[in-house]
Order: sequence, then C-alpha cells, then structure tokens
Amino acid sequence: MLKRIESLFAESRDLTMHQLQNDEMSIEIAYIESLCDVSKVSDFILVPFTKQQQPFDEIVKVNPVYKPLDDPAKWTDTLLLGFVLIQVKGSIYKLDAARVIRNENPQTMVETVIMGPQIALSEDVIDSINIIRSRYPSPELATEERTVGTTSKTRVLLLYDKRSVDSNVLSMVRKRLERIMIPMITATGQLSRALGDRYTLFPTMIVTERPDRVCNSLQEGKIVLLLQGSMFAIIMPVTFYDFLSAVDDQFDSYWMTRTLLVLRYIAVLLTITLPALYVAIVSYNPELFRVQLTYSIAGSRAGVPYPSFIEVIIMLLMIEALVEASVRLPKYIGSTATTVGGLILGQAAQQAGLVSSIMIIVTSVVAISNFVIPINNMSMAIRFMKYPLIIMAIFFGIAGVTIGLFIYFVYLADLRSFGKPYFRIFSKTPSQSGDIGQVGQG
Amino acid sequence: MKYNRILLLTVMLLSLAGLTGGCGFKDIDKRFFVVAIGIDPPAEGAKGYKVTLRLAVPSPKVEPGAAKSRVETIQATTIAEGVRLLKSHVDKELDFGHCKLLLFGEELVKKDFRAPMQWFARRRDIQSVAYVAIGKPDANSILNVEPSSERLPGNAIFLTFGHGGTESSYTLYTYLFDLLRRAGERGLDPILPIMRVENNGYVVTRLGLLDKSKLVTVLNPQETEMFNQIRYEFKKSTVAASFGGQNMVMSVDGISSKTKIVRTNEGYVLRLRLKIKGIFEEAPIGVYDQDWKKLEQTFNAQVEQEAERLLKKVQQAGVDPFGFGLKFRATHAGSEKTWKAWESIYPRLKFDVKANVIIEGSGIIR
Repeated sequence: MLKRIESLFAESRDLTMHQLQNDEMSIEIAYIESLCDVSKVSDFILVPFTKQQQPFDEIVKVNPVYKPLDDPAKWTDTLLLGFVLIQVKGSIYKLDAARVIRNENPQTMVETVIMGPQIALSEDVIDSINIIRSRYPSPELATEERTVGTTSKTRVLLLYDKRSVDSNVLSMVRKRLERIMIPMITATGQLSRALGDRYTLFPTMIVTERPDRVCNSLQEGKIVLLLQGSMFAIIMPVTFYDFLSAVDDQFDSYWMTRTLLVLRYIAVLLTITLPALYVAIVSYNPELFRVQLTYSIAGSRAGVPYPSFIEVIIMLLMIEALVEASVRLPKYIGSTATTVGGLILGQAAQQAGLVSSIMIIVTSVVAISNFVIPINNMSMAIRFMKYPLIIMAIFFGIAGVTIGLFIYFVYLADLRSFGKPYFRIFSKTPSQSGDIGQVGQG
Repeated sequence: MKYNRILLLTVMLLSLAGLTGGCGFKDIDKRFFVVAIGIDPPAEGAKGYKVTLRLAVPSPKVEPGAAKSRVETIQATTIAEGVRLLKSHVDKELDFGHCKLLLFGEELVKKDFRAPMQWFARRRDIQSVAYVAIGKPDANSILNVEPSSERLPGNAIFLTFGHGGTESSYTLYTYLFDLLRRAGERGLDPILPIMRVENNGYVVTRLGLLDKSKLVTVLNPQETEMFNQIRYEFKKSTVAASFGGQNMVMSVDGISSKTKIVRTNEGYVLRLRLKIKGIFEEAPIGVYDQDWKKLEQTFNAQVEQEAERLLKKVQQAGVDPFGFGLKFRATHAGSEKTWKAWESIYPRLKFDVKANVIIEGSGIIR
C-alpha cells in the first residue's frame, strides 16, 4: 500500500508512512501529519497495537471508528481530508484523525445586534452544526454532505428541515451544487456566486454568520449551506424583505421595529436615488425645490466651476474610497481614515468651492443610509445601484431617474430566488408545512 | 450571446443619450430665477406691452434685508418678444419655474387682460399655482419695491399671498389656474386682488372684480372681507355692529354660508343663509350681563344689510364672482337656453339674506 501511496503524491514531507510490527502481525499506516491530530493516531493505533491486549485485527473489525475502504482510487482524497489509512492483513481501513485549525469562540462581527445571541457560526462545519443543532433540536433537521471545488474539495453541508422544506427548491439546490465546476472555493460568497448569484443586481441568497438567523430560516423551510473553513452560512430561498429585516425585529419593541423597517426602506430608496435626483433637480428641474432651497443651492453652487454631475462624481468617488479604505485598513488606523476623510475632506472640499454644501449633505445621507441595511451582501449590491441612475439623470433628468427606477422595479419583480418570487416587500417566502419527512434523502 | 445583447442595449442607450442629451441641461447657478412678472401698457403712443421682470440674485447667506434682486424692464410688441429681448440683457438663462407672482398693471387690466393671460397659461415653465394680482398704480412700481424685511428675494410676495405667512381676511389670492377657469367659465367671473405699495412694503386689501376681459369694479376692504366670508367661509375674520352708539366686534370661529336660487311668484330669488359663530373681541364692560339675544339680533340685521349691499353692488356691476350663474347652470338643464335665461334673470335677481349670528362667549372669563 505504502509504495502505491508514495507514487500518488507529489513529494511532500508531511506525508507520514510507517510499517509497524508486533508479535502477531505487521500493519502499515499512512497519514498526512500536518492534517492529523498525532495524539489521536497514537491513541487509536499505536497504543492498542503495541499493548497487544486484544489482537489488532479484531479491534479494527469491532470498533466502528475504523471504516473499511476498498476503493484504492479514493485513497488520496481520504488522506487529504485528514484520515489515517491502515492496512491490516490485506484489508484497508480509514480512521478520522483530522485536526482543524479554526477560530475559537467566534463573536458576531458583521451582523451585530445589541440584545441577542452574540455568538457566530464557527469556521469548522462540525462546530457550526453543533451550534445549530443545540438551538434547533429537531429530529427533522437533515444534513447532507457534499464537496465542491475540483481542487479544494471543500466540504459543504446542506441543512434543511425535512418537514417544512420546499422539495422543488431542495432539488434545485442539489442540482446546482452538483454542477459547480470551479477549482477553488474558499468563501461562502464564491459559493453563492457559483450557485447563480453572479450577474444578478440583487443577491438572491443571504450570507450570514448568525446562528439565530440560520435557525429561524430552517424553521421557515429554508435551506442552509455551511462551508468548511468559512464562518458564514448561505440561506435560500429569500425575499427582498429578508435582507431588510434585522434579527432584532423579532424581539425589540414592536412599534419601533416596524418604524425602523419603514425607515430602512426609505434609506434604501434615498441611497439609490438621492445623487441622481440631485443632478436631475439641480440641472433640469430646479422648480421642484421650494424657492428658499433653490436660492440657497444656487448661491452655494455659484462658486462651483464644474457641472453638477462632475460634482456628484467627485464626492461619490471620495466617499467610496473612504468606505473602501476603512475596510482595508488595519483596525487601529481605521478610525483615522474616517476622521480625515469625513471631517476634513468634506469641509475642505466645500470651502475650496469644489462642491456645494448641499452636495456634502447628499453624500453623507447616501453613505449613512447605505449602512442601515442589515445584511452585508445586500448593502454591497445597493451601493452599486446609484451609478446607473446617475447616468440616466445626467442625460434625461427627472424622467431618466423615473425610468431608471421603473427598470429596477421591473427587474426586481422578475427576479426569482430558486424559483420563488423575490420582490416581496413585507413578507417572507411562505413555508411548506407538509407531512413528516416530505422529502427523501437526495 | 447574452453579453452581446447587453452590449447592444448599452450602445443603443448611450447613442440615445447622445441624441437627446444636452437639450435641457443647465445648472442651477447658471439660471436667473424670475420671482415676479409685471405687464403694463406701453408708454404713450407705442404698441405692445411693457414687461418688467424681477430676478432673484441668490446668495448663500440668509439674513434679513440681505435679499438682492434685479429688476429689468423692456418694451416690446409682444410679451414673448420682450422676454426674448430681455435674455440678451442678462448673463444667465431666465427661468420662470419659481415665478410666483404675475402682475397686471391697473391701466392694462382696465382695457384687456386676455392676451397676457394667454401667454402666462401657455408658457410651459410658469406654474399654474402662481398668484395673479393687479398692480396699482402700475406693475412696474410694485416690482421695484424691495421690502426691508425680506430674507430671500421675493419672499415677501410668497408670504403675503397664500396661507404660508400672514392670513388676512382682506387679502384674497387667485391662482393662475383659477383665473383661467374663471375667465373661461360661463357663470363665474374672475377676481383679482389689488396690490399697492406703502412704506416699502406691499398692501393687499381690495379685490378687483373683472368680467371676461377687463376690470369692472373694485371692492373696498369691508366689502372684500364680506366677500371672503360669503364665498370662502373665511374664519380668521371679524363681524362688527354698532349697538347704541357702541362698536362691538366679534372674531369669527365658524361660518357657514349657503346659497340657493329659488323661483317665487315675484321671479327668481337668491337665498343666502349666513351662520356665523364667534366670541367678542371688542365690547363694552358688562356685556356678559346683557341680553345676548338682543345683541345677536342687532348683529343679524347689520350683517344682512352689509351682505345685501355687497350682492347688489356686484349685481349692478354686471359680474358674477360668486358663481351664481354656474350654480344655476348646474341645477338646471344643460342647454343653451338655460344660459340665455340666466343672462336675463341675473340683472333682475332679488336677494333674500338671512344671517344667524351666534355669540359663543364674551372673550374673557368673568
């Protein structure tokens, strides 16, 4: 066996192969040292083999942790997932001794709430399942395991509630998972792209790190994908509403959370349309303002040398660079960037006569409203939406903005998330409350 | 395949943009906002109109008295020509989008106001909610006033009319769309407030009554208030009566006015029922202990008399700003004959005015 394995692998120093001999028999073991927990190897193989309290071939047969592996074609894959291969008396067994390096006790970082669970999913799927199962102790919770990525062979776990899941959606997800043919998958975003979110303007699946959101979704009959090595889960199918509802909405003061929901929709509308409306109103239809505002904008714009759209583009470039910089910078310098950019640049740009004071307000409203969206991948998608509208506004004014918005609405209405209507403003995808175990194992 | 289609669409949209782009693009600071337009008859012997525009000069600072504006006057055979000529006198594009006051000079409106009105109506960027008024003695002198309290150019005009600033029972306002409607509707005649200048500010207390083409008569302030009460049931007003040589004034809390045209043996009669509720604003000491029934009757009699006098004055002028004719047409068969009949009825119409003044309180706690 060992010779054959040696020939299969490229030269790798951490591939460990031993031939062991005791009084009764000789066995061969092979494992990749860096992937395995060496104490497990010694506990399960070396110690019983050398102590000889029981013949080792019997131990291997009786103890279920040793699983027979007959197909030599699977040897390499098994080794690469952290298994130990053992050859005892001509037959081959595998033993899971994987050691996964992961973040300990992960806290929610991306989707934070004030009162609510503070723990996030783990980078190890087994830990994640532990977190989810302990919050969702239902026998109906099904988990299926796959691997994606032709090179990375990343483990993907498919979780769903057998009773409430929609079988059409489930089969669609399974089919799409099988069709993925990209070499490397390291982040959940890649997986969601590969599943069909590549060119859609709005995400059709939620990427979240919150176990409570995952559990709620499971209960609503949604499908959850967990990826080994990523602390984010993918939830599908979803509606537009899901992206705008935070988990707080379910436990904070009822009336305030409803108000906040309305506020989030207004914020989305503002962040998409405001720069375009500025261009359209200032350059095409100033009669839309009240007269007092018209004069003050006209007065503050009098010193600005460029047309309104250049002004808008300058400011938006600046704010996008600022947001991008604060993501890229190390945490300790991050706050400096915001101070420099937000306070100094904004003030200076206005005093230098590069932009009008109203434009500063427009820019900050656009940036702040964008951060109101609870789910990060929707927030990113919305960030882009304003630019096509600005182009429409430059050439066609108010009419252009209206047509652009109309196009967005039509697009949203046409969009489907795994066959389910996407553009629901105040409801979720209805859950299927069928009989026990309505779907079979795929 | 899919990419090609998207690419094609983008190219098409961009070329469309190239075709239509640039036809309306003009930044806000490259526009001169016209606050008010005044139309006067030309100087002696000339034809056409004298057009006066008040242009706002915007400034980023808003302070009382900091409002700056510029007044341009030109004489031309048509208003359109005048405005086009004026464009060459200023450095920015004229924008009528915020023009809130359209002024007719008194002399012009005494002759014929229809042609300038047509220009206002047809001009795309003049809003239909602009106020229309008559300037006395002429529009030009009113536009040349810069009230010292103004924080923004033209703001005093916006606040005078409408319910934004002062709400006076003597200041009626007419929107352009209302003027157009009244000028075209049979049985409803135009009204326009008359604006004059006093102490570097505007005064609007009188109402001009017009027929379909010119100014016919002017109501004095008391009549204007009465008109406002009857036609618009305007609440922030007063009713006054003298009682044994003492003046008593009531501030109005609620008015309802109902009119009905009825046929009696002596021909058509217009019934007006006025119900006015209010509390005393000016009354002698001891009014609380007096018999309020008697006071109310005195009020009734004097209000009735005043209202009837107004109705008669309007009738004699041959105009119908109340819209009685429209009411008659609405409640009778919709044929030419109805209108013919009304034309003969109105000059002989009798009025039956009944007022019902209710005193609700003495205005102070006893």
